Amino acid sequence: MAKLILTPENQIQRLNAIFNTVENLKGLPLAKLTQRVNPKTWSILEVVLHLNIAYGHYHKKFNEILPNLPSIEDEQTKFKCRAWQKFVIEGQRPKNNIRKWKMKTLKRFEPIIDMEKLNDKGAEEVFDTFFELYGHLKKSILTSRGKDVKKVKFASAIGPMVSFYLPESFEFLLCHLERHMVQISEILDELEK
Amino acid sequence: MGLMDKDAFLLLKNFFPNIQLSEEEEERFKSLWSIKTFKQYDLITEAGSIERNFYIVLSGVQAIYILNEKGEKVVLGFSYTGSPSGVFDSFVRGEPSKIFLEALKPSKLLAISKRDYLVLFQNHPSFYEWGHHFFQEVLFGRLSREVELLTLTAEQRYLSFMQRCPDELKVIPQKYLASYLNMKPETFSRLRASQVY
Repeated sequence: MAKLILTPENQIQRLNAIFNTVENLKGLPLAKLTQRVNPKTWSILEVVLHLNIAYGHYHKKFNEILPNLPSIEDEQTKFKCRAWQKFVIEGQRPKNNIRKWKMKTLKRFEPIIDMEKLNDKGAEEVFDTFFELYGHLKKSILTSRGKDVKKVKFASAIGPMVSFYLPESFEFLLCHLERHMVQISEILDELEK
Repeated sequence: MGLMDKDAFLLLKNFFPNIQLSEEEEERFKSLWSIKTFKQYDLITEAGSIERNFYIVLSGVQAIYILNEKGEKVVLGFSYTGSPSGVFDSFVRGEPSKIFLEALKPSKLLAISKRDYLVLFQNHPSFYEWGHHFFQEVLFGRLSREVELLTLTAEQRYLSFMQRCPDELKVIPQKYLASYLNMKPETFSRLRASQVY
């Protein structure tokens, strides 16, 4: 199996591309943001809300871990992702803009929006929270460049059966984001029909 | 962000040698620039973001690079004391950059925003002449580099670069110089050991 080499620069570049995509979504009318292609699938806003919920665990972990990691003087060397973690990450990563398989979302990560009460301001808040949370991810990746990331691993949001070093968790989150950007693109295509 | 001292202003003025400004205009011109400080390995501009500034380097060395498919840095160029810096295509087009700009040494840069850069041209037509010469030099520099990369051997590329590059560039990590010269770090190291430079 080919190695998966992780670098913070590659992750930052991809995260910035996602920010540009989500920034464009912000300008869509509320009706489009909340429209479901079919009753069983999520709307664009629900996808973004799901992404916000999914970051919660990592937000806390990064704040705990990063300040306590020893600093490094030199540049961070490339990080080689471990095999099991690579398998989990690749399960998320879309290939050629296609989600390989659909996944059942755990109950605690499901987005719930009260459509009766939702207005433009409510939708704006979902996007603001997205940029706040994933801005934190970007800051964490940037900070990790000056840290010895091979010192600490931690349990993922899925549970202790998957543990991550920081670069692995960044990659997992990025692939999860990329997967849902593909989903949003599919929703937009369907809405255009 | 720091205040501009006499030396920094002199360097700035030298960068625009043929621009004649009255005392009042000079003060206004000076006020459009700010000093930005970066630590070693700070990313000054990230790929995927828009370059907001045009820079002139007061001190330090910076590299512009792109990531290849393996995620490796491919160095396109350097900036150093007295030279311009920034990701020009993103700055001019206002589109996300494909290129990173990173401080390889602690760096101090004079920065002007896009809006203020455009003000210079609007208020003083002589900046158009400067712009013409500046981008002409950038083009000639890139053409010359392309010719070197396509026609010279590794050893010739190494020698040509070492003869023209300033001393402060010779002390940056070898892998950046090797990448710029399109050779493996081991080749660079071997050439360095066997040459005067």
